[in-house]
Amino acid sequence: MTLGLFWGWIMLENLFFAGLVAWFAGATLPLISISSDSKTFRRISLGIYAIASLLLADVSLFAAYKNITIAITIYKILPQIQFSFMLDRLSALFVLMISVVSLCASIYSVGYVEHGHHKVRKNLLVSLMGFFILSMILVVSSANTFAFIFFWETMSLSSFFLVMYEYEKKETRKAGIFYFAMTQLSTVFLITAFVVLYAINGSFDIRHTAFADPSLLTAVFLLLFVGFSIKAGVIPFHKWLPYAHPASPSNISALMSGLMIKVAIYGMMRFLLFALAPELWWGILVLSAGIISAILGVIYAMKENDLKRLLAYSSIENIGVVLVGLGLYLIFSQSGLPSLAILGLAGALFHAFNHAIFKSLLFLTSGSVVYSTGTRNIEEMGGLVHRMPFTAISFFIGALSISALPPLSGFVGEFLIFQSFLDSHALADPMLRLLMVTCLSSFALTSALAAACFVKAFGAVFLAVPRTENAQKAHEVPKSMIAGPIILAALCVVLGIFSRQIFKSLGFSIDSPDLFFIGVFLIASYALTFAVLRAASSGKVRISETWGCGIISQNGRMEYTASGFAQPLVRMLKAIYRTEERSERKFFDSQSSIFKEGKAEMRLMQFFEEYIYMPIARAVNTASKAVAHLQTGSLDDYIAYTFVAVVVLLLVVGWII
Amino acid sequence: MNWPFLIYIFVNAAFALLISPFYMSLIKKIKAWTQRRKGPPLFQTYYNIAKLMKKEVVYSSNSSWIMRTTPYANMIAVLAAAMFVPLAFVPQGFDGVGNIILFVYLLAVARFFMALSGLDAGSTFGGMGSSREMSLSAIIEPTTIVVFAALAFTFKTTNLHEIFTETAKFPAFVMNPSLFLISIPLFLVIIVETARVPVDNPETHLELTMIHEAMILEQSGRNLALMELSSAVKQTLLTGVLVNVLMPWGLATEFTLQAILFSMLAFFAKAAAISIIIGLFESALAKIRLFLLPHIFMLAFFLSVLAILLEVF
Repeated sequence: MTLGLFWGWIMLENLFFAGLVAWFAGATLPLISISSDSKTFRRISLGIYAIASLLLADVSLFAAYKNITIAITIYKILPQIQFSFMLDRLSALFVLMISVVSLCASIYSVGYVEHGHHKVRKNLLVSLMGFFILSMILVVSSANTFAFIFFWETMSLSSFFLVMYEYEKKETRKAGIFYFAMTQLSTVFLITAFVVLYAINGSFDIRHTAFADPSLLTAVFLLLFVGFSIKAGVIPFHKWLPYAHPASPSNISALMSGLMIKVAIYGMMRFLLFALAPELWWGILVLSAGIISAILGVIYAMKENDLKRLLAYSSIENIGVVLVGLGLYLIFSQSGLPSLAILGLAGALFHAFNHAIFKSLLFLTSGSVVYSTGTRNIEEMGGLVHRMPFTAISFFIGALSISALPPLSGFVGEFLIFQSFLDSHALADPMLRLLMVTCLSSFALTSALAAACFVKAFGAVFLAVPRTENAQKAHEVPKSMIAGPIILAALCVVLGIFSRQIFKSLGFSIDSPDLFFIGVFLIASYALTFAVLRAASSGKVRISETWGCGIISQNGRMEYTASGFAQPLVRMLKAIYRTEERSERKFFDSQSSIFKEGKAEMRLMQFFEEYIYMPIARAVNTASKAVAHLQTGSLDDYIAYTFVAVVVLLLVVGWII
Repeated sequence: MNWPFLIYIFVNAAFALLISPFYMSLIKKIKAWTQRRKGPPLFQTYYNIAKLMKKEVVYSSNSSWIMRTTPYANMIAVLAAAMFVPLAFVPQGFDGVGNIILFVYLLAVARFFMALSGLDAGSTFGGMGSSREMSLSAIIEPTTIVVFAALAFTFKTTNLHEIFTETAKFPAFVMNPSLFLISIPLFLVIIVETARVPVDNPETHLELTMIHEAMILEQSGRNLALMELSSAVKQTLLTGVLVNVLMPWGLATEFTLQAILFSMLAFFAKAAAISIIIGLFESALAKIRLFLLPHIFMLAFFLSVLAILLEVF
């Protein structure tokens, strides 16, 4: 920020441009030496990423703080079609988010990328990571829909290649193809919406929309909503996310879960806030989609034992939370309650920003855990707090923050949303107020379940005794892989403690509690408690073994497992998980008292796959088979088809004209 | 920040710390009387805490800094929450202090640490307790929030200080029917949050019944004293919300010594009355099976939604 202040706003355009160029240069560097295993080249490239991130963070922070708009045009293809970019406050916020996270991810990657064995792949990983981040920055700063969709596609493509990093695994290939199909589906919706917008406006400008028929605008809204929802992983369009995010390398998972789904949120906000004129039911739709994603996301996360998949499901939950805030904004602003609307919107934006920070923190640290233990299954971990102390403390801060515990940053966003729910007695329509209460109770369940989920994750991964030999042998990761997450953890604390001051300095008068005061109070009372105990207690300490009911030398097999931890909730929420339990028992005697053998199984039904995705896939398959009959392979037939097609076309055109 | 507010913070917390252990013994005494036993002395919990302070702390060799920080985290989170519930004197509002959501989440901080410490030593009991505690707290959370939402809807504010100012000003407000409706689920929330029968049994160490006790099984010495004290304070705070909403008589709003002393005495008596009710409630019921508990929570949830419906229409 000091740089920005010093150079003045005239130079901001140039700085922004320089940042983009630096990203591009950094990303092309590993490609030059693609076939040589040069550590130095990769390091220089990651160093350039870090510097470019700092530069862009600086520019965007300045633009957001001063509320100014930076606009640049890089390349004009035609007068209408051009690559032009702008940073207004909304874009600047997202650029800032991307820069901060990619700074830490770049630092982390210095150590992380070196553990691969293929030199070409390592170079490609660094390079594609650069292009991926650059595309995201360009999407959120696009000034027209043409640039938006262009870089949206480069973002999708580069992330697709990154998901396929370990393509020799069957699971990864499945995840990659699924991701690619879904992301292209999202693009189809977006392009259609943009074409309709172009028809309305006569230009590709992203910022405003000419007056048009409301039903046409509704159609645009629905197309955009579905398109962005697919990319953001909103339920029921979420199924690709828990496959694709865990399959990619951990630094990329952090970028995808922390940032890429936020880019979709940015798109939704950009069009709903600036380009379209929302109606009340749009808000109700967004709110309901958010609540459903939030609650189902966290319920599925609770069940998951794959660490990275658990985090992926939790991302679905958090996207739901952001949508709830956005939905509240739409509802309140349509009901003439602007102060509540701002509360909801501030909650959505702040939570989106914080989720980027703590989710990438959690993904990076879990990447370190996977790096050290060689498994993603939390049942095979345990006791890592002694073996990886720095990773453990970073993960812990992330877990506190994502469980919305004060005074950390995750609390603030959820608090603002809670607050606008609780103030909804100001709504005039009683039915709307009822909707609010229903949503409020589901929302409360969500955040409590998130806490349960992360107690399970942290407990199973880091606490107690190692459950396997691999976990026993785990050791702390290289320094750069500690440094990246530590910065993010510090940000979680700072953004929470100073949240009120941040809102104030941005010029929002939001009545959020002064967490700085709470933080000071907590520290003061800690000091007081410590002093009192020091004076009043004996101070004697002894180290001994855990009480195991007389069993000496406890081992990892005796402690509570992650599945065991989740079991009460799984049973209480049986209707949602749709688990099927079956057991068979055989006995030696007729009174069924001497047990011979038995079998018990529990099957989790994949509701969305079995009822939504597979029927569509099957229908497409059947349709393609029907069409396949036409493809006989003989040239004569094809010429005949062409002839018939031309005749039909001529007839139709002639009939219309 | 003004000086009465600072004094309020200090006095309120000290008052809560001072009286809380008494109610724990009082409930035990009531339960003993209903069983025709003599029961422990009324100051037994104070003696226990003093005794634990003198004992050594035993840490498991498996445990980490989680085990060591949890007692402090519990204590300071509960002390911070104590700012939010004026027991005897309602000060002039200070930014954000008194907010319902922040209050609930400060208690959640304590729970989060406690659940982790249950897992830390690698004991099966601890894990079982943590798992049950987090599951039950997740299931009760909608009810807790909706109860507080009902309060917020009734008083049109989300600040406990403002709610109490309102009730202290108009004790006739007690006749508001939705407040009676709210007080039943609020009572159930207190039962759940403070680990009492029929949800949990604070007296046994049998693995079939225990939740809270299982989590703190590995705590000892001064750390155990802190845990016991903080859960006692937590119970007083939740009781304080119920007392000051339903029977606010004597609650001081002006800053004079006389009024505050009188108000403290009044609160002491009223909270004792609630504790006696809790004791009788515990004696009258048996522990309910873990998987049948959601039914009770549904009842509480239903009543609080009913209160909101009254306010909405």
